[in-house]
Amino acid sequence: MHELLLTFATKILKSKKIIGGENMAAKIKIKSKSDYYARERKAGYLFVLAPVLQFFIFALVPLLISLYAGFTDWSTIGKPSFTGIENFVKMTQDPHFWKALFNTAFMMIGIPIRLVLALMLALAMNRKIFGAKTFRVLYYIPVISSIAAISILWRWVYNGDYGLLNQVLSIVGVKGPNWLTNEATVKPAIIAMAVWQDLGMSMLLYLAGIQSIPKDYNEAAQIDGANTFQIFKNITVPMLKPVTFYMVITGIIGGSQMFIQQNLMTDNGGTNYSAATIVYYLWDKAFKQYQMGYACAVGWILAIIIFAVTYFQFKNSSNELFEE
Amino acid sequence: MLKKSKKLITMILGVAVLTSIFVGCSGSKKAADGKVEISWMCYGQPQETKVYEQVIKKFEEKYPNVKVKLVSTTQDQYGQKIQAAMASNTMSDVVYMGPGDVKAWTNAGKMLKMTEYLDKAEKDGILKLDDIWEKGLAKYKYDGTKIGQGDIYALPKDIGPFGFGYNKTLFEKKGIPLPDKTKPYTWDQFIDVCKKLTNDTGGDDATFGTGLNVQWSLPAFVFSNGADWLNDDATKVTITDPKFEESLQFFADQTLKYKITPSSEQGQTLDTYQRWLKGQLGFFATAPWDIAAFESLPFEYDIIPWPAGSTGQTASWLGSVGFGVAANTKHPQEATNLAIFLSTDKDANKMVSDQQIQVPNIKSMAKTDYLNASNKPANKQAFIDLIEKYGKPLPGERTYNAEWYNKYLEGIQDVLDGKITAKDYCEKVQPEMQKLLDDSIAKEAKEKTK
Repeated sequence: MHELLLTFATKILKSKKIIGGENMAAKIKIKSKSDYYARERKAGYLFVLAPVLQFFIFALVPLLISLYAGFTDWSTIGKPSFTGIENFVKMTQDPHFWKALFNTAFMMIGIPIRLVLALMLALAMNRKIFGAKTFRVLYYIPVISSIAAISILWRWVYNGDYGLLNQVLSIVGVKGPNWLTNEATVKPAIIAMAVWQDLGMSMLLYLAGIQSIPKDYNEAAQIDGANTFQIFKNITVPMLKPVTFYMVITGIIGGSQMFIQQNLMTDNGGTNYSAATIVYYLWDKAFKQYQMGYACAVGWILAIIIFAVTYFQFKNSSNELFEE
Repeated sequence: MLKKSKKLITMILGVAVLTSIFVGCSGSKKAADGKVEISWMCYGQPQETKVYEQVIKKFEEKYPNVKVKLVSTTQDQYGQKIQAAMASNTMSDVVYMGPGDVKAWTNAGKMLKMTEYLDKAEKDGILKLDDIWEKGLAKYKYDGTKIGQGDIYALPKDIGPFGFGYNKTLFEKKGIPLPDKTKPYTWDQFIDVCKKLTNDTGGDDATFGTGLNVQWSLPAFVFSNGADWLNDDATKVTITDPKFEESLQFFADQTLKYKITPSSEQGQTLDTYQRWLKGQLGFFATAPWDIAAFESLPFEYDIIPWPAGSTGQTASWLGSVGFGVAANTKHPQEATNLAIFLSTDKDANKMVSDQQIQVPNIKSMAKTDYLNASNKPANKQAFIDLIEKYGKPLPGERTYNAEWYNKYLEGIQDVLDGKITAKDYCEKVQPEMQKLLDDSIAKEAKEKTK
C-alpha cells in the first residue's frame, strides 16, 4: 500500500517539475511571481498534509464515530444498533456515574494546593540561593517521569503494612491507616501524589512569570514605601494572573481526565467506589463490561462538562486578562 | 529558493512522513514458498515468550507446511488489544480466551466452532479428547445457553487448581500434628489448629493461623458449605442463602472473632502474601502458578485440601485460559492443530510446565510423570483431586459480564472490618447485584439476535 502511495506522490512531484533530472533547475522557467508563489504554496500544502491527515484519521474520525456510538448499544465485539437516548437516561440512574463525577470533582482540590505550593517554591527559587539550578532539575524530574511508574512506586509508599509513609509515621508513634484501601484517605492520598508530580512544572511556569515582571513596578513600589508582602499582593500576584489562569484551565482539563493513578493504585475503583474517576468509570464500561456505546456517551458528557467549565472561565476572566 | 539537492531531500522526507501514516495498513502476505501462515496472539512474561518460540519451532517441525507467527503482548493489555482486533476483523488465528469471555465472544460470532476440526484431528490420531481434564474442557463448551455443554470453542492452556498450602516447619516448631494429606479439616478443627499457630506478639516474630484474601479464598469456603453466588443456570444471585451468609461470616470471623489472622486492615493480598513468604503464616492459598516463586521459601511447605464446610467435602475454584481459534480464520484446520499441539502435545506441555510448573493438561501425563516427579510440592495429588473432582468455576466466569460480581466486591471490606454483618450485607447488596445480572442477561440476549 505504501509503495503505491510513494509512486503516486513521486509522479505528482515529477509532473510539477519539483524533482527530476540533473538540470531541472536550469530548465524550470519561472513565468511570473504568482507562479512562484503558487509552487511554494503547493509545497507548503504537501508538508502540512501529513499532520492534517493524522488529525483527521486519528482524532476527528474517531470523535465522530464515538458521537454516533454514544447513541447505540455497541459492545465492541458485536454490531451496534441505534438506541436513542437510552444510554444517557441510564447514566443518570447509575449511582456509580454520580459517585465517579463526585470523585473527579474532589480531585480538583489539588489545583489550588498545587498553585499555592508552586508559587511559594518559585519565589524561593527566584533568589540566588546556592544550588537553585539543581533544585529546579530535581523538582522537574517527577514531571517527566512516567505516571505509571510513579503510581506503582507510590502504591508501595502508601502500603498499610510496609509502606514508607507509615514507617516514617511510626517513628513519631502515629499508626498510619491503609491509605489506599481506606475510603476516607484514598482520595487525599492520590491528590498528594498528583500535586507532588506536577509541582515542578507549575513552579517553572511561575518562575518564568515572576522573572518576566518588569522590575520597574517593584522599584516604583519600593520607592513609595511598600513592604515585601504588599509588593507580593499588589504586583506579583496580579501580574501572574495569566499564568494562574492558564494553570487552572489546564489543571481542570487534565484533572477531569485522571485515570492512570486510580487504575494502578486501587482495585475496582477503591472501597465502595471511593476512588474511581469518571474516566475510570467509562474505561471499565468500555473494555471490561463490553459497553463501548455507553462509554462513548459518558465520554461526550465529560467533554461537554469540560467545555462548559472552560468557556465560563474564559468568559469571566477575559475582561481582566486582555485589558492592556 | 532551496538548493536542488536540499529540495529533493525535503520532498522525500515529506513523502516519507505521509507514507508513515499508512505503514500499518499492510495487506495479507502471501508466503513465498506456498506454506500456510497462521498467527498466534499470546501474553506472558519475557521468559514465557521465549519458551513459546521454542514450542512453535517444535510445531513447525511436526507440520512442515505451516508457519506460525507469534504476536506477544502483556497480560493487562491483552483484553483491550483483542477487542480492538475483533472490532477491526484482524484477529490472530489462535488466541487466548478466558472462561469468562466465552459467552461474549461466541455470541458475537468471533470464535470458531472447533468440533468438526477436533473430530478430524482425533481420526488422524493427533488428539485424544477424553485424555483432557473434563472440568478444564467444560469451561470452553457452550451450547448457546449454558457453559459446560455443547460445542467446544477452545482447548485449555492450563487448568490451575486454587489449592491450600501449609507451613510444615511452623507446625513442627509449635508441636502441632501435621494435617492429613487427603482428609480436610472441618471448620471447627481448622480454627482450633489456627489458634494454636497464632501468637500475635505485635512484632516481626508474630505468627498467625492464616491470612486469606476474600476474593480468591472465600469460594473454597462457600462451595464446600454447599452454597454459591449463582443458581444452576446463572440467572439468580443466591448470596442470601443462609449457607452463603454463614460462610462469609465465618471468613470474616477468622479476623474479627477468632483472631487467627493479622488485623483486618492488614488482610490485603500483598501483605499476607509477604507474611507467608517470611514464614509467619500457618496456612496460605497455593496454586501451581505460585510454585516457581515458592522455590526459595525459608521453610518446608506442602498442599492439603481446603477445610470443608457442612458438605464434608473440600472445594475450590479452577483457574484457566484456553486456546481458541478466530471464526474468520483462513486456515481452520491448521489453527486447530496448533491449538491442539499447544494444549496437549507431551513435549510442549513439558517445556511449559518445566518453566511454570503447571499441572499437565493430559490426564495420563498428570497422573504419572507429574505426580511422580520429585520436585515440590510433595502432595500434588491434592491439586489433581481439585481438577478432577472438587473444582468449580469462579462466579464471574458463568455470566456474560461480571458487573454484578464486581458490585459484591465493592463493599465487601465493610464485612471484613466488622462494620456490617454478612447477613445484612448480603441482603442489602443482593437486589443491586440481581439487577446488574438481569441487565447483562438482557444484553446477552440482544447480542445473540444480531
